[in-house]
Amino acid sequence: MLRRSYLQLGLAGLAGGNFLDLLAMRKASASDKAGGAKPKSNCILIWMDGGPTHFETFDPKPEAPVEIRGEFRPIETNVSGIRICEHMPKLAKVADKYAIIRSVCHNQANHGAGNHYMMTGAPPRIPVGCGAFVSFHPSLGSVAAMERPAPHGMPGYFTMPSMSRSGGPNFLGAKYAPFVVANDPNNEQFRVRDVEVPKDLLSERFGKRQDLRRLVDRLPRYSDPQVSDPVSAYDENFQQGYDLVMTPEAQKAFDIHSEPAAIREAYGRNSFGQRALLARRLVDAGVPFVTIYDGGWDHHSDLFGALKKRLPTWDQTVATLINDLDQRGMLETTMVIALGEFGRTPKISTLAGQTKPGRDHWANAMSILFAGGGTRGGQVVGATDRQGHSASERVLSPENYVSTVYRKLGIDPSKIYYTPSGRPTHLVSDHTPIQELM
Amino acid sequence: MISRQASSIQSAVCLTGLVALHALTCLGSEPVVTENASTASTLKFELDIQPILTARGCNSGPCHGKARGQNGFALSLLGFDANMDFEAIVKNSRGRRLSFASPNESLILNKATGKQPHGGGIRFTESDEEYRLLMNWIQGGVARTTDADPKLLRISVSPDPHSMIALEQESLTVTATYNDGSSRNVTQMCAFQSNEPTIVSIAPNGKLQAGALPGEATIMARYMGKIATWSTAVPRPYPVPNAEYEALPRNNFIDDLVYNKLSTLNVLPSRTCSDSQYVRRLFLDAIGRLPKPEELAAYELDTEPNKRSRWVKSVLDRPEYADFWANKWADLLRPNPYRVGIKATYSLDAWLRDAFRKNLPYDDFVRQIVTAQGSTWRNGAVTIFRDRREPEEITTMVSQLFLGVRLECAKCHQHPFEVYSQADFYGMAAYFAKVGYKGTGLSPPISGGEEIVFAKENGDVKHPLTNQVLPPKALSGMVQPIQPKQDPRVSLADWMLSADNPYVARAAVNRIWAEVIGVGIVEPVDDLRATNPPSNDALLSALASHFREVGFDPKKLLHTIFTSQVYALSSQPNESNAADARNFSRHYRRRLKAEVLSDAISDVTLQNEEFDGMPKETRAMQLWTHRTNSELLDAFARPDPNQDPPCERVVGTSMTQTLHLMNANHIQKRIAADGGRCDQLAKSEKDAATIVSELYLTIFNRKPDESERSLLEAEFAKPNTDRRRMVEDIMWSMLNSPEFLYLD
Repeated sequence: MLRRSYLQLGLAGLAGGNFLDLLAMRKASASDKAGGAKPKSNCILIWMDGGPTHFETFDPKPEAPVEIRGEFRPIETNVSGIRICEHMPKLAKVADKYAIIRSVCHNQANHGAGNHYMMTGAPPRIPVGCGAFVSFHPSLGSVAAMERPAPHGMPGYFTMPSMSRSGGPNFLGAKYAPFVVANDPNNEQFRVRDVEVPKDLLSERFGKRQDLRRLVDRLPRYSDPQVSDPVSAYDENFQQGYDLVMTPEAQKAFDIHSEPAAIREAYGRNSFGQRALLARRLVDAGVPFVTIYDGGWDHHSDLFGALKKRLPTWDQTVATLINDLDQRGMLETTMVIALGEFGRTPKISTLAGQTKPGRDHWANAMSILFAGGGTRGGQVVGATDRQGHSASERVLSPENYVSTVYRKLGIDPSKIYYTPSGRPTHLVSDHTPIQELM
Repeated sequence: MISRQASSIQSAVCLTGLVALHALTCLGSEPVVTENASTASTLKFELDIQPILTARGCNSGPCHGKARGQNGFALSLLGFDANMDFEAIVKNSRGRRLSFASPNESLILNKATGKQPHGGGIRFTESDEEYRLLMNWIQGGVARTTDADPKLLRISVSPDPHSMIALEQESLTVTATYNDGSSRNVTQMCAFQSNEPTIVSIAPNGKLQAGALPGEATIMARYMGKIATWSTAVPRPYPVPNAEYEALPRNNFIDDLVYNKLSTLNVLPSRTCSDSQYVRRLFLDAIGRLPKPEELAAYELDTEPNKRSRWVKSVLDRPEYADFWANKWADLLRPNPYRVGIKATYSLDAWLRDAFRKNLPYDDFVRQIVTAQGSTWRNGAVTIFRDRREPEEITTMVSQLFLGVRLECAKCHQHPFEVYSQADFYGMAAYFAKVGYKGTGLSPPISGGEEIVFAKENGDVKHPLTNQVLPPKALSGMVQPIQPKQDPRVSLADWMLSADNPYVARAAVNRIWAEVIGVGIVEPVDDLRATNPPSNDALLSALASHFREVGFDPKKLLHTIFTSQVYALSSQPNESNAADARNFSRHYRRRLKAEVLSDAISDVTLQNEEFDGMPKETRAMQLWTHRTNSELLDAFARPDPNQDPPCERVVGTSMTQTLHLMNANHIQKRIAADGGRCDQLAKSEKDAATIVSELYLTIFNRKPDESERSLLEAEFAKPNTDRRRMVEDIMWSMLNSPEFLYLD
């Protein structure tokens, strides 16, 4: 650790934490300095697309005026002093197992740009519109897939049921694009499609086909990297796909039907719950990064009605995932992170043409749930002001957050990558992680 | 159309975070050089102060330049509005940003130097020139320019553009010229950007650095709303004798212009591709399907003169042409059916197919869209107006699609890379101000009702800042005044399609070129501007003139491209052109797009992919909505119907794609189907050599060579070989080879 980090620790201690926090952090710093190799953690990212409200999740403001605090009340958690929304009672019982970050903020309050910033740690380098699907920088998952190859030909980066905006590989190339599991694991017929040899092809015949393929595939390859022959990427994909199909360990990971019924119930018999369970199986098989794309958090209207329905099942799944990982001894090496591209406006409003109120986009404040991967639970990092307008204590950037995830993945966020044309690019421009979580 | 880097129309570029430029503008740290340095008494806001706000990034997109400002202090983006900026600094917040009593205590200085907490950090220090200038300006009574003061006319870059050699350095100087004849060196206050930083990069102080690789770059310099560009090339260091270019085969003007350009870079084109490669390309690029074995044979046997020209004509006249090209345009125009209703989506689809079936000239195509009126259920072009309901929305689309101008930026502020202002944007939008609607069931998102679009008698748009009603005004040239009761859109179409319109033909030929060559002369294809120049301007201009000469007939333009020698170049690089990705010195390989691949597999297996709710013989190219289920089309990245607008296509391959071809149940079933091609071949009397030959012609569209044929014959001859299974296994192997999946 650098001298400078000690200074920062000191400041953080003064600003908000208590003395014990400070000691804990110093201890962590000391072990860091001693070069104690930390295990590399994997990551399950719950991407709450649309921008979840911080008020109705992890940053309630009961003292604010009614047009700001909204209809919901906070509840106490099992950690004294930490309160979260009343519709997440199960997460309230395990608050000692996760941290809440309340002070990450940025300046990209439209979906396209906000997705890009939070998925990649880089602000979009030209302006983008709200509906845009942009990619200027590789996403966390794609970098993980490249830096942390998964065993058995497994893709290093899964996403279900679809890729999030800016969740792609950009210049790392299609090889590190997420493997999309589109179908619903809650379905009795569920299987991950295309990863098994069709039943009527005995393995002998499948092998025969590979031999024949080597015989007929004679398209010349242009190996000079300047040529950028797209066929090179195809070849890599083909080989990896073949490895995946041929490896029993990989095949086992996809078999969610082998889970006991009680576990499947506990996660929630719905698409989101079963995706979380499948994510746990994939991580268990060695996949470093799994994104669960959890859309529909863009509550411009009917915020309270929608969340009353949604939060209880969401709460059950996320709490179960954290508990299950903990009981299996996997939480120490598995991050569970839930966030979206930004928070939502303090003032509740009803848009023209709507009858039920909601909140709009707000990048000055947001909340992130961060569990596992050696993160000390039961803490809140940073704070917003009394009305949730903006991060006011321990103000952090998306770069800080993304650097934290990279460090826990065992990837150096200060690394420099080169684009295919040779242009150097920092993985994260500010590679300071959030010390309280390290 | 334009699958590559398809830039979605609605989502194009809203200028709120000009980050790259912001970074550049923040870095310049050397003091300002002013040749006619103003003295304290003459410092003027527009001339001396606003450039500081821009150079120090204060008015950039992420900071005070964004629409709502930052913490209550809002400046115009990059200083395009001097009145607003002066008000913000001097008058707003009761003038608290300046202290005339003690100028050095002014909030603006305390913030910028970090004496008071500033979210944007320290922008300059007390010892910097900027500090002195601001101080003096405040002391001097915050003067503004008057009519007597010089006005900025233009900026220019010196020295004159010239080519560079690898790793060479050069310094650019930017000079601002004023209407009183004075000038000053503003290099340190400029924002610079290189469009190809690997080829030539530029530092904030104007220092150029050529990289190690040959290529071309254009540098943009911007100062107070004025833009200048400086284009350069880094040729290969090994000159090619002229005689080598003179000896190259040439079929038409395209070849001359491409070779001219290549000669400036010391690059030679690749050799010519084989006949079978040419025919495969022609079929896939013109009509989106593989040539059949009998068609390949007929081409080979044809010895009459003008063979290629005749074949191109006959392929373009096939019925598949309409579906293939309508599908490209549907990518750009197809609305979300949840927004406009199913019937309106369907009628637009039918209108597009009909336009290409009739080979509607492009000018008529544009006119019928821009002036569309009537029922969304009867005239498909009207659906576009149902989808883009506000003048602002349709203006953005029309300018990007047909003019190749991304005007969207100018909706909210002066375009940062262009001459266009908000007045230009709303002047264009005013052409659509009288679009009237009547109908039922119109509340999005789910509304299937019929809607009638017509020309109203009234309607106007206002400038969002001045609230002034703006009359229709085209982006360039003189326009006929609009007659009372005339639909202004007719006047807009007249301007767009007039003989001297500088945009429409160039944007159109660039799109069509990119579709069949794989890379546009300008990339992205819908972003034509001085700061994003074409890789070959002469070629773009010549194609545009040619398009006019042939009456905007797309098939005639395609004929010219397909019969050029450039189109028939091999993809195999030579010693000189490996690095070329923009100048068409070789064929650029591309993966077959989703619908083409689906139809190709149907043709190879003789078993169609089946689509819900469509007749069994429907081809993927005939689907009218992306909401039709298809694992294959999803895997191979057709536009995502959940995006709005759904027009983005991802090129390149992924493991998902290779796994799909390898293992998908539906493909396996079609290979093994009774009555399918494998079954037919296996049951036939044909010998192994003939079967192998047919498979090669069908899937790779070429004959097997001697060794391929004999090796596979030997496989058939092995003991206990099941003939049908062998045919199936070979077909699978070929479908899983890049020679099938790529257009080589």
